Amino acid sequence: MTIQRMLAKAAPFLLLCVLFTLTAFSQTKTITGKILDDKGAPIQGATITARGTKAGASTGADGVYHITVPSTATTLVVSSVGFTQQEITIGAQTSIDVSLVASTSNLNEVVVIGYGTSRRKDLTGSLTTVSAKEFNTGVITSPDQLLQNKVSGLEIVNNSGQPGSATTIKIRGNSSIRGTGNPLYVVDGVQLDGRNARPSVNLGTGGFGPTPDANPLLYINPYDIQDITILKDASSTAIYGSRGANGVIVITTKKASAGPVKLDAGISLGSNVGYMKKFDALTTSQYRGALHKYSLDTITVNPLDKGSSSNAMDKITQHNLITNYSLAVSGGNENGKFRASLLASHTPGFIKTNNLDKYIGTFAGSYKFLDKRLTIDFSLIAGHTNEQIVLASNTAGSQGNLISAALQWNPTSPFTDANGRYIDLKNGVVNPLALLQGYNDVAHVNTYLGYIAATYRIIPGLDYKFLYSINQSDGTRNTNIDGFLQGVSPITGAGFGVISGASLTSQVIDHTLNYSTNLTPDLSFSALGGFEYIKTNFSNNSFSGLGFNFNLDQANLLNAQYTDILGNALTTFPASTFKDITTELQSYFARANFNYKDKYYLTGTFRADGSSKFGSNNKYGYFPSVGVKWNIANEDFLKDNTVFSGLGLRGTWGITGSQDFPAGSAIDQFSFGTFNSNSQTNVGNPALKWEQTTQFDFGLDFSFLNSRLFGSVDYYNKNTTNILFQTTVIQPGPPANEWLNLPGHLINNGVEFTIGAAIINKKDLTWDISYNMAYNHNLLKDFYAAGSKNALTINTGQINGQGVSGTLGQIITNNQPVDEFYLKSFGGFDQKGGQIIGANPTYAGNPNPKTLYGASTTVRYKKVTLTVNGGGSGGFLIYNNTATSVTNLSGILQGRNVDKKAVDSKEQPSSGVGASQRFLESGNFFKLRNANLSYNIGNIGTYIKNANVYVSGSNLFVITKFSGFDPEVNIDKQQAGYPSRSIEYIPYPTPRSIQVGLNFSL
Amino acid sequence: MLQSKYLVISAALLLTGAAGCTKLKESYSTTVPINQAVSSLGPAFPGLLLTSAYNDIPGAFVGQDEVFSLEENSTDESLVPTRGGDWDDNGVWRVIHNHTWNADHGQVLNVYNNLNKLNFDATNVLQFNPSKAQAAEARFLRAVSLYYLLDLYGQFPFRNPGDNLLLAPKVYSGDSAVLFIINELTTVLPDLNTKNTLTRATPDAANTLLMKLYLNRGAFNNRITPTFADADMQQVITLGNQIINSGKYQYMANFFDNFSNANGSSTEGIFAYPSSSGLAVNNPGMHARWMMGFHYNEYDGQAPNAGWNGFSTISDFYNSFSVGGTTNYSLNDTLLDTRIGRRVTSNRQTTAASGIRPGFLVGQQYDQNGVALKDRKGNPLAFDPNIAANMIETGSNLEVTGIRVPKYVPDFSDASGKYYSANPGNWLMMMRYPDVVLMVAEAMMRQASPNNVGALTLVNGLRLARGAKPMIAPLVLANSANVDDPNTLLAERGRELYYESVRRTDLVRFGVFNVLWQYKPSDDPKYLVYPVPNQALALNPNLKQNPGY
Repeated sequence: MTIQRMLAKAAPFLLLCVLFTLTAFSQTKTITGKILDDKGAPIQGATITARGTKAGASTGADGVYHITVPSTATTLVVSSVGFTQQEITIGAQTSIDVSLVASTSNLNEVVVIGYGTSRRKDLTGSLTTVSAKEFNTGVITSPDQLLQNKVSGLEIVNNSGQPGSATTIKIRGNSSIRGTGNPLYVVDGVQLDGRNARPSVNLGTGGFGPTPDANPLLYINPYDIQDITILKDASSTAIYGSRGANGVIVITTKKASAGPVKLDAGISLGSNVGYMKKFDALTTSQYRGALHKYSLDTITVNPLDKGSSSNAMDKITQHNLITNYSLAVSGGNENGKFRASLLASHTPGFIKTNNLDKYIGTFAGSYKFLDKRLTIDFSLIAGHTNEQIVLASNTAGSQGNLISAALQWNPTSPFTDANGRYIDLKNGVVNPLALLQGYNDVAHVNTYLGYIAATYRIIPGLDYKFLYSINQSDGTRNTNIDGFLQGVSPITGAGFGVISGASLTSQVIDHTLNYSTNLTPDLSFSALGGFEYIKTNFSNNSFSGLGFNFNLDQANLLNAQYTDILGNALTTFPASTFKDITTELQSYFARANFNYKDKYYLTGTFRADGSSKFGSNNKYGYFPSVGVKWNIANEDFLKDNTVFSGLGLRGTWGITGSQDFPAGSAIDQFSFGTFNSNSQTNVGNPALKWEQTTQFDFGLDFSFLNSRLFGSVDYYNKNTTNILFQTTVIQPGPPANEWLNLPGHLINNGVEFTIGAAIINKKDLTWDISYNMAYNHNLLKDFYAAGSKNALTINTGQINGQGVSGTLGQIITNNQPVDEFYLKSFGGFDQKGGQIIGANPTYAGNPNPKTLYGASTTVRYKKVTLTVNGGGSGGFLIYNNTATSVTNLSGILQGRNVDKKAVDSKEQPSSGVGASQRFLESGNFFKLRNANLSYNIGNIGTYIKNANVYVSGSNLFVITKFSGFDPEVNIDKQQAGYPSRSIEYIPYPTPRSIQVGLNFSL
Repeated sequence: MLQSKYLVISAALLLTGAAGCTKLKESYSTTVPINQAVSSLGPAFPGLLLTSAYNDIPGAFVGQDEVFSLEENSTDESLVPTRGGDWDDNGVWRVIHNHTWNADHGQVLNVYNNLNKLNFDATNVLQFNPSKAQAAEARFLRAVSLYYLLDLYGQFPFRNPGDNLLLAPKVYSGDSAVLFIINELTTVLPDLNTKNTLTRATPDAANTLLMKLYLNRGAFNNRITPTFADADMQQVITLGNQIINSGKYQYMANFFDNFSNANGSSTEGIFAYPSSSGLAVNNPGMHARWMMGFHYNEYDGQAPNAGWNGFSTISDFYNSFSVGGTTNYSLNDTLLDTRIGRRVTSNRQTTAASGIRPGFLVGQQYDQNGVALKDRKGNPLAFDPNIAANMIETGSNLEVTGIRVPKYVPDFSDASGKYYSANPGNWLMMMRYPDVVLMVAEAMMRQASPNNVGALTLVNGLRLARGAKPMIAPLVLANSANVDDPNTLLAERGRELYYESVRRTDLVRFGVFNVLWQYKPSDDPKYLVYPVPNQALALNPNLKQNPGY
């Protein structure tokens, strides 16, 4: 279905929302009142329903509600997120004020799980929900940043300091040796593909490599998110079958509540103020000292001391204003609600010219028909992003990265000559300011995510739901490297332009039946059955040219870009177009829950996945899970205790899968090549199937002292087998790799711990803290080729740069964690100051963090609230590829800036470049992610309600021994599709930023 | 009521179930699944596959780190010193030259895979009903691949068309491997088109490859002490004389015209891979052959920091040009060229713009205006033949050590000069007429009753064409104490065919591969053949690791 048709379908509902604004009941009475918290402050958005009726209302900013109920109604149910639900008997009175008790443990909170919802206390599985008020604050460009350090066992690493870049996400460790290993995203019940349509460009010429990927969730407005749930154990994820093995992240967007139309507005202004942490290259005076130390200050012809003073790392940064404007309008009544929102944000990056603009509009609604038996829900998100990308490529060689150019720039040289022309030092370092001006890379991506769902209540307790969703994303990217740049062969004097495009379409159709009933007064039962169909198309293309007639001289530049006039190129390269194989996934799934007296719970799920990607021998995969829970607190023997307010034991087991291999891998394929050729490019394996993870989990949930202290502990063990492995075809064969499933075991086991406390809970002063910690152990076992006992080895982790070409620093092999560092030993320096590097690589340490921890605290005094979020990782190593080959000491011979650590060592500039354990550093860190100080002004005048001002700081400091820019780093150094871990290489540095903002409602 | 409730539920379940059941189909666009390829591409299909097989040639033979590296860096003709921050690459280049490689070496693996890609793509042509001529060309290309696999690894895997690719193929080794390739070539010879140009398989190309097989058969079967059967030598002479007497091939007046951007019209070319100046499509990138040696500053006017400053040759090999002991290299000896023949330095610059003369670069280098070039530290850019003993340069002259060898003439044909060498028009010379002549001469000397006079006549005919003084009888095959003794047939092969990926095969056949030479302080007979890459060994149990690895 096209977007136009989607919109056409949505249009009638716009009319409906007008039509349904007024409804009346016969034989009714109206109750009004105020909902307050335990400190007497009004609660906005609390929901009031009358049990057994369809009546419902919600409170405005002043906490006041009006509800019209049938005269037969007996009980009002009042609930609000973060508060314990209360029931009030309706007597004769027409005015009922209710005071809600804050519920820090949220046991009655309804959380979203796969294809449905559940009360938190009924869950048998292990999952964590982070609601909007707990999100990280500050400069947020994509939703995953909201969660960093918020959930035990969830690791989120920004791959780059560039706003909007992709993140590496691991739930409970690294459970795949292939692909991204990222979790499945589900937005309002719609599974996402996980890719995005910003074209990736691998310039592959002039030493320019691929630039970091964009975040696939950029089009989701962070202000629209109500909460995010992380499904961790198999009981929660098995309902997603062959896509659930890496965990599932369920994003729920905000919905309107019944009540008068209201407008929420927010504005924030911010700026990147400086490096969170600097890379220790030499200052001008230190550089002069180093030249003297190595007797390089005596060179008279073309001296290395250029007689001036400069700081390139400062010169490439900017502090431009970051702006965010958000607006949401919502309203409706029990029969029809809508919410529309708009976000416009302008996020200049910390590096000059870099910028991310986002425009996101959403329109969602929910309307009831046929005596409320039919509910129509719909939502449309339309997002436009416009990104100006800087050259911070992942695997650039000796040149072709702005950060390396700035790090290596001779700090005694000015950037321009007397005529304002960029100086070319002719030492292999491109002038960083010239690179800023001469590299222009702009990507536009338009993304639509729309769905429409119809829910029909067949009989009470039995609902049928149909959902259709489409996610369409189209991107174009124009990359230009001007010919006036000096020292970039073959671009110098020629100019290079690439136009690339990508398109991603994914459609989902769901049919589900939900049934719930009480089998006996003590035993309740609910069940879900469903069918799902997902179809995905992806295509991309690129056109490039070399050799233009303009922008070849810095003094004479046109406004035009090469990509505007690509036909001017002397050499146009063969156009590259690619259309991925259309894939289909067809699934049947079911879930059953039993609850006996709120004491004993049993949940079972089952999913059968048929995928067009699987081999003909394995068209369907089956994924079961079971979960049990014993709610001890509800046992009679604990009924009268005053210590525990909650105590529950959980145990779950289940199987999930991963189908992270390219479509078509099961079939022999032939591809067309240049010069009218065709050759076999894939060797099909008809036995190919999903990678399978079996996980069990034991958990204990507890809360004490009227839920003022609460937490949970989980032990889990994940065993991934049928490991997807890409092996070279047995020669002679095509250059492609053949995919197969290996019988080895990838084990992740660990313990997760969460604790929260409301230490002070007074009217004027509250103090909450929460802390989470996770320990994970990762090991690959029985990793042999089929039918053999010879351990397989996969080398990955490209170490890049001049002098280390082709070096791989990590290994995936038996009895080691995934991506174990595999490097030659380092034995100090010999008498000539050369590095003593061992002959053969050895296992050198684990790049996967063993421990993850996060902490958060909120202190409120009257109307002032301070929230601080932080966290870190421990027990892992980072390889500093920047120090190996960018700021290595030998560079000083060519007049490049070098690493201060190397100058302080016994190394001499004649020492060679080599990858070794010398550059392995401890990655342990603690980062203060953000601190937010807000003042709740409240209502201003007649119209402005709930005004709130705040000041917030992000990445305020980091405590670490790592010498690079940011210990939270994962530059993509994959080799042949096998991902790397924890390697730093001239990354886009992480900035420290501050922000001020104002929120209010009308 | 209860009954109707369950009715409704089952009806709803049925509805939900019935909504499913699509046939799970992948729909292909960019690629073609095998069943559609046959039906939709029809008779054109084998032709398209054959082009792919030809297109596999550059992958294995052009790059400086492919067959070229294994055949040249392992000999006295080439090495790659580590220069400060450059060309360490975990020692991969040094171990090839000093004979300490192992079965995990990346180049050993890549070459194995790239040659087998050619092996596979050529075999695949045969699966889809090709014409007789197409089948003959495909089997010739496969024979090229098998020859190099046998030469480098002592064995080759083989699949019949249509074999299940998930199963391990059989492996040929020893004399049955040699005979297999000989038999293949003999079988297809009548079907090869004599009108094909040198970029396609011709009977002459097949015969040249046959000569190589007969000549090397004794060495392939016993690399430690090769023996040469008289019948094989007679075959070499017969096949070679056919080519010589055909009159189709003449020596070029200028040696370097065999390697220029116009070398497609060389009258010495027998088999080559084509390329077009400035055209990116299918350009194999022959510029690697000169960029790999050029100093960073060698192209200052056009593209600073362009050269890769790596590959060099050793002084002993350079000296082997001075037949009769006339001279050793000298930085100031500008007369050397004319005394030892014009295979060392071309008498013309590549373009008016560059000032570079192809051949061997020793001593001070000059730009197009005769101005002396400087290295990046401002010292004279004067190539110094002396390389550090361990091939790791640490001195202040680390950028300029080693004699550079741009045998292929840099292509600056773009008038604007912007593209220097990005898409050069030089063709890759796979088989050249002088090799045929020298093989005949060698076979004459290796006959049961050697014909040394006939051999010397052929050698001196070639030397005359190159402007070099004739060699004096008695001509010997090789000096087992000194690989670089100038007065041998082996040295003449080196002087004519240097940097053409034949040196290692020659040294093994002449029994001197394990003789020590510069920057190779020790050796072991196991290095006479490369190891089967560990990765290949793990996948195919039919492969046997070569002794010693």
